[in-house]
Amino acid sequence: MFVYTFNRLLALIPTLLAASILVFLFIHLIPGDPASILLGDTATPEEIAELTRAMGLDKPLWTQYFIWLSNVVQGDLGTSVFFREPVLAVIASGAETSILLACMTMMWIIVLGIPIGILAATRHGTWADQLASGGAMLFASVPTFWLGLYLILIFAVGLGWFPSSGFPSITDEGGVFNLRYLMLPSLTLAAPNAALIIRLVRASMLDVAREDHVRTARAKGLHPARVAIKHIFRNALIAVAAAFGFTFAALVSEAVVTETVFSLPGIGRLVVQSILRRDYPVIQGVILIIVIFYMLINLLVDLAYARLDPRVSLS
Amino acid sequence: MALLEVRDLEVGVAIGGKVLPVVQGISFDVEENQTLGIVGESGCGKSLTSLAIMGLLEGSMLRLTGGSISFNGQDLLALSPRARRAIMGDQMAMIFQEPMTSLNPVYRIGDQIIESLRQHRSMSQRQARARAIELLDLVRIPDPERRVDSYPHQLSGGQRQRVMIAMALACGPKLLIADEPTTALDVTVQKEVLDLMLDLQKRTGTAIILISHDLGVISETCDKVVVMYRGKIVESAKTATLFSNMSHPYTQGLLASIPVVDHDVEWLNAIPGRVPLIDEVLPGCAFHPRCSFAQASCATSPPSADYVSDDHLVRCHFPNDRPSGGEAGGDA
Amino acid sequence: MSAITSFLAIFRGRRLATFGLIWLLIVVVAAVAAPLLAPFDPLDFDPMVRLSEPGWPYIFGTDHFGRDSLSRALFGARMAVLIGLGSVLVALSTGGLIGMLSAYSTRLGHVLMRLVDVLMAFPALLLALVLMALLERSVLNTIIVIGVVYATTTARILFGLTLKLKNEVFVDAATCSGAGHASILFRHILPNLISPLLVQASFIFAFSQLQAAALDFLGLGLPPEVPSWGNMLSEERIYITRAPWLLIFPGALIILSVFSMNLIGDAMRDSLDPRFKDDIAGV
Repeated sequence: MFVYTFNRLLALIPTLLAASILVFLFIHLIPGDPASILLGDTATPEEIAELTRAMGLDKPLWTQYFIWLSNVVQGDLGTSVFFREPVLAVIASGAETSILLACMTMMWIIVLGIPIGILAATRHGTWADQLASGGAMLFASVPTFWLGLYLILIFAVGLGWFPSSGFPSITDEGGVFNLRYLMLPSLTLAAPNAALIIRLVRASMLDVAREDHVRTARAKGLHPARVAIKHIFRNALIAVAAAFGFTFAALVSEAVVTETVFSLPGIGRLVVQSILRRDYPVIQGVILIIVIFYMLINLLVDLAYARLDPRVSLS
Repeated sequence: MALLEVRDLEVGVAIGGKVLPVVQGISFDVEENQTLGIVGESGCGKSLTSLAIMGLLEGSMLRLTGGSISFNGQDLLALSPRARRAIMGDQMAMIFQEPMTSLNPVYRIGDQIIESLRQHRSMSQRQARARAIELLDLVRIPDPERRVDSYPHQLSGGQRQRVMIAMALACGPKLLIADEPTTALDVTVQKEVLDLMLDLQKRTGTAIILISHDLGVISETCDKVVVMYRGKIVESAKTATLFSNMSHPYTQGLLASIPVVDHDVEWLNAIPGRVPLIDEVLPGCAFHPRCSFAQASCATSPPSADYVSDDHLVRCHFPNDRPSGGEAGGDA
Repeated sequence: MSAITSFLAIFRGRRLATFGLIWLLIVVVAAVAAPLLAPFDPLDFDPMVRLSEPGWPYIFGTDHFGRDSLSRALFGARMAVLIGLGSVLVALSTGGLIGMLSAYSTRLGHVLMRLVDVLMAFPALLLALVLMALLERSVLNTIIVIGVVYATTTARILFGLTLKLKNEVFVDAATCSGAGHASILFRHILPNLISPLLVQASFIFAFSQLQAAALDFLGLGLPPEVPSWGNMLSEERIYITRAPWLLIFPGALIILSVFSMNLIGDAMRDSLDPRFKDDIAGV
């Protein structure tokens, strides 16, 4: 297991390097002089000259890339034009919100998606199945921000159950109760993704239910619920686990929208605001971090996959 | 009273609101310690009959539409699902055709045997594991202490079928249904697996229903034979009676299609044509389009099942009025 | 003619999918005939009738500029169809070509599919956002960006499908009879991929609507003056309490269209050749 994980981590390096080249080139795709782009409109000629020298912007592109890469490896992602702070610090300030939001969302996806998916599969063809799978497809068709706006309208403005926007840190006054600020955002973000998981759990369970070994399990005289969970769902989980990587990607995308709707101080809203503010160093940094994170998630998914399916060899 | 009494069993398939009959009027008895063979080409309803007896039709498009099944003096069809499940895997067990796919790929084989044991016997995990190792040894899996922790994909097809047998025998069933247990295996392994089953039967006294398309296998192993064609019994008799006096042209055709190894045969005497589809309407004898002895009346009126001698049932208009066909008919 | 009959046969007995097909036909008709159907100019504003409730003559009400919502929604259907078809075209032509070529020529495939892998390391909307950050807000750029994002998944899928077909007997037969590479790819392999491509197209169409709406909402999609359903939602969102209808109508139009396209895609995938079914992940 350890050797396998290590080898997989090594195998990530080429993709990561290729992705880093794309991220690096991002600044150079913007029309204009990179130094003035990185420093913003208010930069003085002296500052521009200083940065040009420090980043080797007068040198060939590949030299610039290696200077940039060695800075990145040392944790220096540049300086935000807007905040005048290191990019890494700016991103770190949004991390708490985004990570907590992702965790709560994942919880909803699992708590809603898996049981409803199992229900739809075991009640295949009944009204409960049609309601669950039809409803899931409907939720997968709703724009995230639209759902968020109406959840605010109903549960924050109308009923006053939850706050409508913002998120004070859980280290601030209120402690973990501040998580109620993430209630509506996490539900908004979970809805389309839980819908995907419902449909996926249902479809893979229906596939597995047709396999011969399920008949063997039934021939043992097991209770149908035991057959459904221990034999059908357990095997369907292999396909579901494989899809969690995609779910994470969808989550990142929709978090950008959700954090904007609920004005959450997270990384997603930071991306949008940085794009609107033309704060390119921050955009570049966030993309790099998300790509690394996404690759690690995919690695975790593969490891989980290998644990779930004994036929996948770890050597 | 026989261990298993099947009377007028009927199975239908539900397609678009209608139920088409696929198995009709199946009646037979299985005695303790006896082996009954059910033979016929694929699509004749052999497997459906066995699934209906086992209680595995639920959840598919298939329905049990009539008849009765009595097992060990109990009317199976009158039992609650729970009481039925208490019999499945305990007093009545089944082995399937596809050993490669009949075991759950994600669990160790030991755990799959243990699941069967603990479902019906109050045993600790440790006791069940010890019993599972015993069972693997019984079905001649080498090195059972180590193999008990193998996953199905680490075993060969023959070994997997042995595991299936071990699992089926776990609770000491009174009746074992084996649906083409050797068809998917290599020829050399086929014989080993069959011998193993019969050997175990001698020790435990289990009754067996052996389903096969191979009359050769049936002749070597069974006490009684039921020949099915298109959902109906066309001939049934004690094995010795059947092979000395084959009366239905279909049975004769099946026998003729067994390859004879010591002859230098260049082609097999396969029965021409195919089994009719379930939605084809045949007013007369279902076999007449493929029967070389068919008369005009065969196409119009269905034959009834009649006894030509004690225990020898034939469903044919002309069971004795024609020369015996096929190679084995000889000059009888 | 037979292609149309077999397409329609998919919808026999599928009431929801039939509903989806009908709804999409309505959207297409609205898109084509928007100038004829719209009671007002979608860009004309009249401060006297700001935020008027649905009624006569403003059936869907008016927005905070006093523009007629119904007329904007009808012209919005135009944008929906344009963006849907445009992104499908970009995604299928570029992604499809990359996927097919990669599967066909192993050496080329090594390089191209690696590139696709790298692009797939970027979550979809993020990639779209970054690309939009580099480009001007315009209809064409929105189409290109969404198309490029889905080109990666299309390339992956077509790569897998072509690999399967490449080893089939009819391809060997074509090779033996002296068919050139282009002929094998486009005259022998491609026709077999039409149905899976259509399924993929319907899912891309559905996703593109959600992506475009999200980009509009973030202020990074179509220019603000273009009447699109996403822009209608984006501009009027602060009036959600005062004039909820301004968000309900465009929202419902997006949901219905995406839902319909997903239903159609699902129905088409169900009737697909089982060899191809598992390759295409829709909703």
